[in-house]
Amino acid sequence: MPSPRSLRRQNPITFVLAGILCIGFFLFFFSSNDGTAVSSGSGSGRTSSSVLSPPSLPFRKSKANEPHSAPPVEHYFMNNVTQSRNPAENKEKVLILTPLARFYQAYWDNLNKIAYPHDLISLGFIIPKTKEGNQAYADLQKQVTKTQSGPKAKRFASITILRQDTENPLMSQNEAERHKMENQKARRAAMAKARNSLLFTTLGPTTSWVLWLDADIVEFPPTLIQDLADYDAPIVAPNCFQRYYNNDKKAMDVRPYDYNNWIDSSTAKEMAAKMGKDDILLEGYAEMPTYRTLMAMMHDPSADPGTKIKLDGVGGAALLVKADVHRDGAMFPPFPFYHLIETEGFAKMAKRLNWDSYGLPNYLVYHYNE
Amino acid sequence: MLPLHAKSKMHRHAFSNGQAAYPSTGGSGTFSIQPHKFQPRSQPALRRRRQLIQRLLLFGSILLTGFFFFFPDLRPDLGSSPLSYLASSDESKLETVRYYDLSNVQGTARGWEREERILLCAPLRDAAPHLPMFFGHLKNLTYPHNLIDLAFLVGDSKDNTLELLNSKLEELQADPEAKNQFGEISILEKDFGQKVNQDVESRHGFAAQAGRRKSMAQARNWLLSAALRPTHSWVYWRDVDVETAPFTILEDLMRHNKDVIVPNVWRPLPDWLGGEQPYDLNSWQESETALALADTLDEDAVIVEGYAEYATWRPHLAYLRDPYGDPDMEMEIDGVGGVSILAKAKVFRQGVHFPAFSFEKHAETEGFGKMAKRMKFSVVGLPHYTIWHLYEPSVDDIRHMEEMEKERKAKEAEEAAKKQKEDKIKEQFDNKGSDWEKEKAAVQDLVQKAKNEEKEEAKKKEEKKKAKEAAKEAAKEELKEEAKAEKAKEAAKKDVEKREEIHEAWGADERGKAAPKQ
Repeated sequence: MPSPRSLRRQNPITFVLAGILCIGFFLFFFSSNDGTAVSSGSGSGRTSSSVLSPPSLPFRKSKANEPHSAPPVEHYFMNNVTQSRNPAENKEKVLILTPLARFYQAYWDNLNKIAYPHDLISLGFIIPKTKEGNQAYADLQKQVTKTQSGPKAKRFASITILRQDTENPLMSQNEAERHKMENQKARRAAMAKARNSLLFTTLGPTTSWVLWLDADIVEFPPTLIQDLADYDAPIVAPNCFQRYYNNDKKAMDVRPYDYNNWIDSSTAKEMAAKMGKDDILLEGYAEMPTYRTLMAMMHDPSADPGTKIKLDGVGGAALLVKADVHRDGAMFPPFPFYHLIETEGFAKMAKRLNWDSYGLPNYLVYHYNE
Repeated sequence: MLPLHAKSKMHRHAFSNGQAAYPSTGGSGTFSIQPHKFQPRSQPALRRRRQLIQRLLLFGSILLTGFFFFFPDLRPDLGSSPLSYLASSDESKLETVRYYDLSNVQGTARGWEREERILLCAPLRDAAPHLPMFFGHLKNLTYPHNLIDLAFLVGDSKDNTLELLNSKLEELQADPEAKNQFGEISILEKDFGQKVNQDVESRHGFAAQAGRRKSMAQARNWLLSAALRPTHSWVYWRDVDVETAPFTILEDLMRHNKDVIVPNVWRPLPDWLGGEQPYDLNSWQESETALALADTLDEDAVIVEGYAEYATWRPHLAYLRDPYGDPDMEMEIDGVGGVSILAKAKVFRQGVHFPAFSFEKHAETEGFGKMAKRMKFSVVGLPHYTIWHLYEPSVDDIRHMEEMEKERKAKEAEEAAKKQKEDKIKEQFDNKGSDWEKEKAAVQDLVQKAKNEEKEEAKKKEEKKKAKEAAKEAAKEELKEEAKAEKAKEAAKKDVEKREEIHEAWGADERGKAAPKQ
């Protein structure tokens, strides 16, 4: 029994097939093409074909059934790794390093908002093996998974997460305990070791800049990298402040937080000269008046926001460093180096290697307020 | 019951296409067209509207497709491509997140059993002549090759180091045997620019040492910082110009389970220089004298071992060698030489590096030892476990060898002249001898056989040879006397040289070096 013409022409199967074809076409057309987008899309990304690649480069997963092939011979042209005033234009790679003890969502949100091309940014974290660290690790992992499977433009080139091998001398990370003077040396030595471990395992042959950013910096401008790089300084530190509720003014206000950015004083030098080999000078303690010029106290909202000053000691809250400085050997001394330790010692060591440190008193990043 | 059932079954398949004709319980039996399909012709207005919608949709989709085609950034992301699940699944899958636990890569005494990775670092400059030998050593290493990552820094080379290195490495990795292939291999190219005058004398002069050591330290730091990974448990520094080393050197050094460990480094010498000589004088123990000396120097001064300017009286690892001593014997040291250093990766991870500045008055490998000590790592040397550095004659040696060559030639010429003279004499004597022989034969028994005669002649010849040799011996004795005097002079010179011998961690250009004359 023949069906009517119109019925034959508009057979529902035809419609279904056409629909599937259409959807399929659109799916193919619009869906992301991971490989090409990251490796060649921007022209800057370099991928490695082996698992044994610098952590600052993403690598291709190998097929499970693929026959074993020898790792390739990789060439890196380190003469071409530049550090210029406009890093984004020159496709310079930035490594953002964070020693993570506690995870703050605001920190991660700000990181995601960074205006620098994300496919040029590698992240590195080092987390202590403590209960608190495990919590931070879990939180971080969740956010990392979310970001790295999210929209392509927001994905970072690579993320390395390390668990610390050195034990933390202090179990408690709380503010009062952390800042006790007698605890400082051991705490900062451990911190320095963590920073060095993170730095030397993640610094790749293609990295141009290293941005040190503490996990408790919860507010910073999205253009931080471009802004700091524009000073063309080997080491440059913005001023680290903290927002708090000012009871006198009955309003939110800001106050200085990081006292490790300073210009040396003759008093401090004299004190150092009288000290034993293993003693250290600390900043921000009434028991130890050094009379150094603190950058935290030089903040002036009405002055030129671009002011740059030369520093002798730097803090690690936020710090943009040319990778060459670290490559030359400037690290965070875990031992008293000229009576200085960790980030302050780093500035001194860089100075010994003829690299100067600078600070920006009127460029602010904000520390978490506990 | 049964007939009814049979009847209904019959009716169910009334048509060949399986369509039931009527409900089996249907009563009337009249034929009716079941779906009462009647489609009215669409009215023109309705049809036009439908066409319009169709056209709009078509136009819209073409526009959208075109738009997204030219602006790929604006495409909505519908997740990863379905293609990736089919053909190119692995090619398009990038791994961007990595997790490491640094407590797994601490380094233990039996690393090969725990599959601990070693990073082998070698800074190169104009090292092409040594590469074949170096790769020979690499192939012979008994440590599992897939656990060894290689990193080379090639800089300021004027020869074909880079090309040769590349081809050698490709060759190495092309080995069909998987266990002969190495792990990650990186070649880093970086020119630091010549900071030191290349003039031979000034380069080895005392004044140039500090600057040279600092720039070598810089190269080492660049290499390490770019090549160290979170997967490494050990780092091994090796110069390319090591001539002889045990194949098991990595295991041998690792077994001691020290943070930093170095073997003793000597070098073979030609017999006329004494056969062998301590080479690496940078492995030493700190002395009170040196510490006191360090306090008197200014901030940027670098103490260089082996120069008369700095008499440190330090015990050197090299001088403590006993060829028959226990190779496992350890000695605590403070400064280390860079020919062959095995260190746990955690030493470098925690920040110890080769100071390119004066660190406690030392730079490069010596400063490295000092800094490791400062951070409470164990630093030891093995006085009786020796590897041999390549011997390359210094300018003085070459001069001396030329003299020796000249002497030898003179001697040869002299000998040739002597021989000629002797031959002449022999000829004359021979003639006479044969004459006399003939006469004698004539005079004496005629029955004497020709054989006897030949024998006699042979004997005679031998005697003559002996006489000639005696003459030669006398001449040699005379020459030896001369050489001895020369040697004594040389030895005196060498003593001074020994102190000046500074270990070279660099490429070949440092090699044809002249020990500065006192």
